[in-house]
Amino acid sequence: MRLLGLFALAISVAEAQPSIEAGRELYMGACSGCHGATGEGSQGPSLLSGRAGRLSLEAIATIIRHGVTGSSMPDFPLLPAPSVTNLATFVRSLTTPAISARLPGDPVKGSAFFFGAGRCITCHTISGQGGYPGPDLSNIAVERTVHQLRESLSNPSARIEDGYRSATARLKNGTTIAGVAKNHNNYSVQIIDAAGRLHLLDRRNLAALELADQSMMPPVANPEDVLAFLARQSTRPPSQQ
Amino acid sequence: MKQLLVTLLLPLTCAAQVTPAAIANSPNADWLTYNGDYASTRHSSLRQITPANANSLVPRWVYRLEGAKRLQVSPIVYDGLMYISNTNEMVALDARNGRKVWHYRAQGAQGARVNRGLAILGDRVYFATADCHLIALNRLTGSPLFDVPYASFAAGYTTSIAPLAIKNGILVGVAGGGSGQRGFVASLHPDTGKETWRFWTVPGKGEPGSETWGNFPAEMGGAPTWTTGSYDPALNTVYWPTGNPWPDFYGGRRPGDNLYSDSVLALDADTGKLKWHFQFTPHDVWDWDANENLVLLDATYRGKPRKLLVQANRNGFYYILDRVTGEFLHAQPFVAKLDWTTGLDDKGRPKVRPEKIPTPAGTKVCPSVRGASNWMSPAYNPATGLFYVVTLEQCDIIVASAKEPVPASGFRGTGNEGIPTEPGKFYLRALDVLTGDKKWEYPMPGPGVMWAGTVSTAGGVIFSGDDDGNLVALNAKTGKDLWHFSMGRSLFASPVTYMIDGIQYVSIAAESDVFTFGLFEPATH
Repeated sequence: MRLLGLFALAISVAEAQPSIEAGRELYMGACSGCHGATGEGSQGPSLLSGRAGRLSLEAIATIIRHGVTGSSMPDFPLLPAPSVTNLATFVRSLTTPAISARLPGDPVKGSAFFFGAGRCITCHTISGQGGYPGPDLSNIAVERTVHQLRESLSNPSARIEDGYRSATARLKNGTTIAGVAKNHNNYSVQIIDAAGRLHLLDRRNLAALELADQSMMPPVANPEDVLAFLARQSTRPPSQQ
Repeated sequence: MKQLLVTLLLPLTCAAQVTPAAIANSPNADWLTYNGDYASTRHSSLRQITPANANSLVPRWVYRLEGAKRLQVSPIVYDGLMYISNTNEMVALDARNGRKVWHYRAQGAQGARVNRGLAILGDRVYFATADCHLIALNRLTGSPLFDVPYASFAAGYTTSIAPLAIKNGILVGVAGGGSGQRGFVASLHPDTGKETWRFWTVPGKGEPGSETWGNFPAEMGGAPTWTTGSYDPALNTVYWPTGNPWPDFYGGRRPGDNLYSDSVLALDADTGKLKWHFQFTPHDVWDWDANENLVLLDATYRGKPRKLLVQANRNGFYYILDRVTGEFLHAQPFVAKLDWTTGLDDKGRPKVRPEKIPTPAGTKVCPSVRGASNWMSPAYNPATGLFYVVTLEQCDIIVASAKEPVPASGFRGTGNEGIPTEPGKFYLRALDVLTGDKKWEYPMPGPGVMWAGTVSTAGGVIFSGDDDGNLVALNAKTGKDLWHFSMGRSLFASPVTYMIDGIQYVSIAAESDVFTFGLFEPATH
């Protein structure tokens, strides 16, 4: 039944150019049950790490077409060639830095949102411009995949980057220090506060340490344009490399 | 939470600023340049660790940098944070416990050369990638401010340098002595990375000094600038050492002295204009880069107060120069194994023994290609008047070839072979800084592979790596060993020392880790 739906989709999205979006729709129909909704793996292996990240587009397409003998990975002999390409392109995009992806959004509109209505720049920095305490985004296009960026925009609390968790430390002397925990363990915590002061604290001087499990960032309702903008952020433009 | 969000939306404005004056007064609680200060003395004013208590040093923490294989960094420490660098990456640590505060990887950087360190100025830290980009980062957050190329990796340039931050520039250099690039020192603007000046270490055609190369192309001349120079703010002068001419071991195509290879350059800090130079090894055919640290000191020399520059050179001589004029004052061997010259004339020019010019059949030469010393950092303690230098007693067989050299091909005019029956032996030697006379030495038995250097402290203790993989503490006056700790691996970096919350620490990078030590403290709670 799932396979039938997959064919219907394949026919409807047939395009000349490989499409990550079309591939994603196919993936959600045919692959996510084993490889996880975001490629993280469940019954099947992760597509985000290990061998998956080193396979060429062609090698991924071959596996989709012919399956993996002796494993649970089936073959898809009747899937139209463009659909295989779209699916492989999507799988590739799971580990491809966002800067290499072709995206449907408008980066100019995304930039306008980032610096304007979205007020993203008040919490994030790009090339020295912007605010705190969010992660620096100067190189985000080469450090993250499209999938990771999309998730961060749509559901900021899904994964909070190490070093960016909101923290409140109450010292035994009565002082409270609130900010972002750059690191913490049973013995010490390193917090940058609102004024940009770094507090290197010994846990034995603390009465309590509270770490938030929710991001301070609001979700972005329509992230495609800002995604396209972020997918261009690199301190080394491709022309330099 | 809402209140927190509002209060956090403020720019980082109040980070303490590192000033050139602070760097000039370092090292004290902080360690602010590769060599600790502008004069490259590696002498710290800290005195908590003394000959009386050094035997109670214990490990305080170890930080492992995943993926690192041979850290060669001298960490920078400022205001509670330690900064370390590796090839194309940098990390900030809580210097009391080694906990990571941020990590920056130079995405897209090419090249795999090691990295020896970084520079700090204002609220920024700076490091150079293997493909010769200077990167500036906010020192508290690791946020990049610029990533600017200063030499072409495609043209063969690469670097391992720890930049030097002075009042108006971040000074950088390049490798290339073994691969045929043209060396230079450049000053890049601290705010933008834009080049302010550049001094080419091989003169262009028709420029003064070009007559010392015959028709050899300047573009292939080498004379690289791969170690960190020194700086005298009062004289507004940068002192930068240069490396060998290329090809390393065959000089037939480059007749003449090959200026400014194997030299010290005195450059105007504002313009990069050459004030003077002194060449240690004219027409080098033994690969004796002069990239050893240039140590600046003021002293009464032969009855006269003088501003001096001293260096224990790879060619086996300890040199004393006047750093105002460049005048050669004195030199004498600091190794016993030295046979390439019958001595120096009164201008410091060596009288080379012709039979020590390498031949295709192989020529035994002392010191070895690695040199009597090398980039392992020496230290100078003004209280003892001693200069502490890791020294290698070794000879090599050097083989030369007149083959047509091709840059970046791996060809160096061929190379050297060790002599199996005469393995190299390392010593830490203490020299009288004003004469070069040996006052004591500490043998460092081992496999002959170390590149570790030293740090001196006002507490009267010298720290050094040894050839067997130990961090050792020695009495600065006598050389008596006070303490050692086996790191379980060979050492390729120089230690540093710093103080936080009243505790003096000593750190050294080794393979993938930074080890940090302090005096044992009984538990207080």
